[in-house]
Amino acid sequence: MSRALDFLRASQNADGGWGYKTGGMSFVEPTSAALLALTIDAQAASHVQRARAFLKSIQRADGGWGIAAPDDASGWMTAWAVWALAASEANDAARRGVDWLLESAGIRVTDPNQVAHVQKTLRIDARITGWSWQPNDAAWIFPTALSLLALDAVNVREHPRVREGIQYLLDRAIPTGGWNIGNPFMVSGNLPPTVENTSLALMALRAFDIENEITVRAQKYLARENFTVTAFEWAWRAWYWKKMDAPTKGAHAALETLQRADGSWDGNPFTTAIALMSVK
Amino acid sequence: MKSISRRSLLRLALGGGILAGGAVIYKQTESVGLDKWMRWMLRGQTARLNPPARVALASVASYDDDVLSAIRTLWRDANAPDLANARVVLKPNLVDSIPERPCYTMPQVTEALIQFLRDEIQVKALVVAEGMTFRRDPHAILIETGYREMLERQRVEFVDLNYDDLVKIPLRGGYAKMDSLFMARTVAEADALISIPKLKTHHWTKISGSIKNLFGIVPGAKYGFPKNTLHMHGIDAFLAELLDSLPTPKRFALVDGIVGLQGDGPLFGAPVPSGALIGGQDFLAVDATAARLMGFDPTTIEILAFMAWAGLGQIDVNRIQVRGAALNELKRNYELAPTL
Repeated sequence: MSRALDFLRASQNADGGWGYKTGGMSFVEPTSAALLALTIDAQAASHVQRARAFLKSIQRADGGWGIAAPDDASGWMTAWAVWALAASEANDAARRGVDWLLESAGIRVTDPNQVAHVQKTLRIDARITGWSWQPNDAAWIFPTALSLLALDAVNVREHPRVREGIQYLLDRAIPTGGWNIGNPFMVSGNLPPTVENTSLALMALRAFDIENEITVRAQKYLARENFTVTAFEWAWRAWYWKKMDAPTKGAHAALETLQRADGSWDGNPFTTAIALMSVK
Repeated sequence: MKSISRRSLLRLALGGGILAGGAVIYKQTESVGLDKWMRWMLRGQTARLNPPARVALASVASYDDDVLSAIRTLWRDANAPDLANARVVLKPNLVDSIPERPCYTMPQVTEALIQFLRDEIQVKALVVAEGMTFRRDPHAILIETGYREMLERQRVEFVDLNYDDLVKIPLRGGYAKMDSLFMARTVAEADALISIPKLKTHHWTKISGSIKNLFGIVPGAKYGFPKNTLHMHGIDAFLAELLDSLPTPKRFALVDGIVGLQGDGPLFGAPVPSGALIGGQDFLAVDATAARLMGFDPTTIEILAFMAWAGLGQIDVNRIQVRGAALNELKRNYELAPTL
C-alpha cells in the first residue's frame, strides 16, 4: 500500500491533477479517484490541497465539470468531482455540482409506440432514465451509479432523481446477474455483465440500502472465479467488497501479484486509486 | 385586353418551373442548409472526374497461412502510400471478445502488418491503438484476443485511445452539426492511420468496415461507452464527419475477411470463412468492395451511398479498379444483421 501511495503522490501533475498515465493530461476522473484515495494519507496533505484546487479551477460556470480542462461542456465526470470534493471538504463547488447533477438526466422516452419497441428489442422500460455520459444522450449504468454515489456523499437521498436513478439500475440489471453498460439485452440475447459497471451499481444500491434478488445475483457474478485476471477487474471487485465489509484477502493477494515495481497497477493512477480504495 | 404571347407564356412556365424546383430543393435541404447540400452534391459530382480508386484483394484461406506474403502483394497491388519514416497508428477492431464470435480483427493479421511495415517499409514508429466500446479497461480484451502476447512478442506499444491526451480537431463537413471533435493525440499527430477492421455485418450500418472502425479513435472518456453520444448525431452523418476530417495525412485500410462475421453483428454473429484480405487507400471503395464480397450491393447501403453522393470516395463498380484475387471467387452471401 505504501508503494502505491508513493506512486500516486509522484504521478501528480504540476497542475494538481492526475492523468490515466504518468505524465498524461489531467482528467477529472483520475484526479477525483486519487483525491478520494489520498484523503487517508497524512503525507499527502499538500497533494490533496493541490488536487482540490485543480478541480475547483476547472469547474464550469454552470456548476458541472467537463472531463478535462480543454473540455467546454459539463458531463458525467461532474459526479466524480462532487464525490471527491464532498468527501474531502464541504464546499460551495460541490454544492453547485450537485445542482447540475439534479438538473441533468438521460433521454426519457414517452411515446408509447417507442416505449413498446424499446421494450421488445432491448428489454428495458425507456420511461425510466438515469444519468448520461454527456447531455442529450440516453442514460447508462456507470454515470447513473456514479451520480447516485455522489448524491449520497452529500446526503441527497430522497430527491425524485435519486429514486428514479435507483429504479433505472434495477430495471437495467441482466436477469442472470450483473450489469452491462446499459441495456441488459440486445436483439437476440442477454449482454454479458462487466465488472466495473456491476461493482459500481452494487455500491450505489448498497448506499441506498437496496438489497434484493437483483443485488444477490450480481454479487454472485462478482464472486465468480473464472474471469480474465487483470488489475482493473480485481481493483473494482476489491473496492466493492471493502464497501460491503466482505473479505478482501483473496483480492488483495491477487492485486499484490499484479502490482508493478513502481507501486502502480498498469502504470495507471486511476486503476491504482481504485485499488487503494479497497484497502483504505 | 392584350393577349399574352406564346413566347411569354413559355418564359413564364420556365420561370415558374425553376422557382418550383428551387422551392422543392430548398425544402428537401432545409434541415442541413442549401449551401452545405450544394457543396456536398458538387463535390460528389466532381468525384466522378477523379481517377478510379484502387482496391486490392488477397486470398488467404486461414490465419495459419502466410499472411505476411499476402499483405506484401496486396500492399503493392493496392498502390499503398509511401510510409517510409512515417509514424503510423494501426487501428484494429477490438470491440470486444466473445467466445466463438469472430467479432474482432485477428492478431495474426495485425502482427503480419507490423512485421511488414517495420521490416520492409521501414516506418519510423508504429503503435497499435484502439478505444474499446463496451469495456472501460482494455487489458482483458487484449489478453483474451491474443493481442497482449502478440504485442509483447513484437515489442509494440498499445495505446488506449479512450484515455489518451485530448486534441480538438475541426470538423470540415458539417454533416453532424458539430464544429469540432475531441480526438486522441496519438491519432491526431500521426503521419498515417491504418484502419484494420473485421469484415462483418452490423445491425445499424448493415456492414462494419474500415469507416465504422473509425469510431474507435474517438475517446470514450469524453463520448462515453459505447460512444452513443455521437450516435445521437446520426451514425451516417457522424461517420462522414470522421472520414472527411481525419487529421492524418496518409491512410490505408486493410480488412480482415479471412473469417468474417454474419448475422447478429457487430458482436453475436456467426463465422463465415471468406478467405479474403481487402486493402486500399479509399476507405469508401474498400468498404464498397467488402460489401460486394459479402453479397450486398453497396449502393443500397445508406451510409455508403450517402458518402459516395457527398464525394468522400468511390462506390461505383466502374470507378474502382480491383486488383489481385478475383472478387467473384471470394464472394460469399452473408446473412444481414437483424435491424433494431
